[in-house]
Amino acid sequence: MNYFVKGNPDLCIGCRTCMIGCVVVHEGKHIFEVDPDSYNFNPRLHMVKTAKISVPVQCKHCENPACMAACPVQAIYQEDHRVLINTDKCIGCKACATACPFGAIDIVSLAGTRQADGSERKVANKCDLCNNIAGGPACVRVCPTQALSLVTEEDLGGAMEKKRMEAARNAYMEIHPQNGG
Amino acid sequence: MSMGIPEVEDAGCLLCFGYNGADSHPIVARRIVRGRQKGMKIICVDPRVTETARISDIHLQLKGGSNLALVNAMAHVIWEEGLTDDRFIQEHTKGYDEFLKVIEKYTPEYAEPITHIPADMIRQAARMYATTKPAMILYGMGVCQFSQAVDVVKGLANLALMTGNFGGPSMGIGPVRGQNNVQGACDMGALPNSYPGYQNVTVPEIREKFEKAWGVPLSDKVGCPITHVPHRILHEKDEKKRIHAYYIFGEDPAQSDPDLAEVREALDKCDFVVMQDIYMNKTGLYADVILPATAWGENEGVYTCADRGFQRFRKLIEPEGDLKPDWQIIAEISTAMGYPMNYKNTEEIWNEMIDLCPSFAGATYEKLEKYNGVQWPCRDKSMEDKGTPYLHKGGNFATADKKALFYGTDWHPPLEMENDEYPMSLSTVREVGHYSVRTMTGNCRMLRSLEDEPGWVQMNPDDCKRLNLEKGELVKILSKRGYCITRCLPTERVKPGATYMTYQWWIGACNELTLANLDPISNTPEYKYCACRVEKIEDQEWAERHVKELYDDIRVQMGIDTGKGAAS
Repeated sequence: MNYFVKGNPDLCIGCRTCMIGCVVVHEGKHIFEVDPDSYNFNPRLHMVKTAKISVPVQCKHCENPACMAACPVQAIYQEDHRVLINTDKCIGCKACATACPFGAIDIVSLAGTRQADGSERKVANKCDLCNNIAGGPACVRVCPTQALSLVTEEDLGGAMEKKRMEAARNAYMEIHPQNGG
Repeated sequence: MSMGIPEVEDAGCLLCFGYNGADSHPIVARRIVRGRQKGMKIICVDPRVTETARISDIHLQLKGGSNLALVNAMAHVIWEEGLTDDRFIQEHTKGYDEFLKVIEKYTPEYAEPITHIPADMIRQAARMYATTKPAMILYGMGVCQFSQAVDVVKGLANLALMTGNFGGPSMGIGPVRGQNNVQGACDMGALPNSYPGYQNVTVPEIREKFEKAWGVPLSDKVGCPITHVPHRILHEKDEKKRIHAYYIFGEDPAQSDPDLAEVREALDKCDFVVMQDIYMNKTGLYADVILPATAWGENEGVYTCADRGFQRFRKLIEPEGDLKPDWQIIAEISTAMGYPMNYKNTEEIWNEMIDLCPSFAGATYEKLEKYNGVQWPCRDKSMEDKGTPYLHKGGNFATADKKALFYGTDWHPPLEMENDEYPMSLSTVREVGHYSVRTMTGNCRMLRSLEDEPGWVQMNPDDCKRLNLEKGELVKILSKRGYCITRCLPTERVKPGATYMTYQWWIGACNELTLANLDPISNTPEYKYCACRVEKIEDQEWAERHVKELYDDIRVQMGIDTGKGAAS
């Protein structure tokens, strides 16, 4: 099963440290370039704020990814519990971004690269669960309120089991309210 | 703060009043979130839906400028419904009866039309605060940056006194100071009325103590508050009282002070301006002399946290170039002016200071190292005195008879209300990522990529619709005093009729609009309220070009190297 990072709106304070953490690990020492336009500032998750909600939104690493099905050049693939984009293969057709039901894919410019018309090359960009980066997803590590967590198969199973226990207890309580579970 | 910051998460009830922790201090906000997870009840008082409001039990989304009416109404409910701690009031306070006379008329029904909060909701909030122990109050600039500010602080203290919420952990009242080490600046006497350790300049014995220690005669008069400086430069008739020289460091009044047009005129007219900072800023454009300073990480010393905690900070790297730490610059200027200062290091300065300040006397470097910080008061040098995590233990207050004083005042509205010409209100706020005037964070590339000029004005979507404005569109925002250009940010988190801007942008500089109306006691300006108007700009292409030109112009004036060769 694919893993994914989940945000908890009850803990999130909307500070966007996750977005900065994301760029820092993906850009490495490039963040020290003097000219801010000469490195990529392409966070792979986005803070969403509504009247009542603050939470970062990112790729859910679907089991049957709509983006993967939509990609005409097979630049999107699944590997090591995650959905990844091969940026070299990507032709920037935007089919994946349109197909994604969560708005998790952006089309971004890559600093220092050129496409046919001479402008900066544009490709699809999304969460890669910090592929090949030691320590796991940076957003989870940098969050000051521990509002983000990496959900694995085991976590999901455990959570489901807990919910089933709760449901069973509720069913019992409906019949025997005086026993207090 | 009467409490320590770690105690925040263990309060039974938090009354979070005009304090937006998530944007001002994420590290304190973390304690609020953790407290919530532990079951803490939260009452949030804020005209916007802040992150704390989102997770609160009761959000009192009051009309800006109505703070004291709400605080007095909550006190009224607590008194009327008999939710007071009578024993605490009897044993540890004075002035309760006089105070009751003031709050008598503040029924929730009286406060409802002023605050725009339903009377029953005020009742619920007052009950929750009074009946959940321990109850803690945190407040921020939403209290202090009004012309009626000190009265509200006293009003909040009244609530804590009435309910006996002083003298133990996780209770009391906490001003979460606006900036890093602003507590330290006050502790060290960077105030017009006191020497270090809150020792008043008008008290003869105290003055004599400092005269003896420093070997010079000292003035017995209170000095000039920063917010009076423009007036004292521009309008003071008496040549001898007029300010002729202005030495500014770690501050950017040409960005951070209200009514920037007036500030610029004052800096222009002032005979001699010295600026000492780590980067060029707006004030620097008016300076005759610029002294380059070291940043954190390039120097060492002591900071005070908002909860009175002295903490050592250390040098990580040697500064490059012709730079000196602030204390060396001050010592050399003093020596050049005829008063030699010969300190070898910060510890020597610290030791001199604590020996002159009874409430800091025990906070030696040794203890700061060993205990990772010490909260004052710490009066004894022995290692046993580890400082004071919370104040007023056992209900003993820092007054001559150890009793706290109730202090009631009537509410009055802000000075400049909405009118036909300027139909909306403007309040200045913070946003996480950029700190203060952005002298530091504006030079952090990551944070600049996250948010850059010309900033945003937050508005209710209904107002945006009425003015035909889209998200991200450049708009002109004006007040009686000036205007600026910024981007429109429609958000459900603010009420119709109100606008909110952060004060760090050079182009979208909301202090062009704000008003230098001061609280009579603190001299803090009314940054949180003035009247304004938002105008649509039809030619967006021109506006985008114009903003870029303004930005490039400022950068050229400041000599900023963008990494693309000369800044021309």
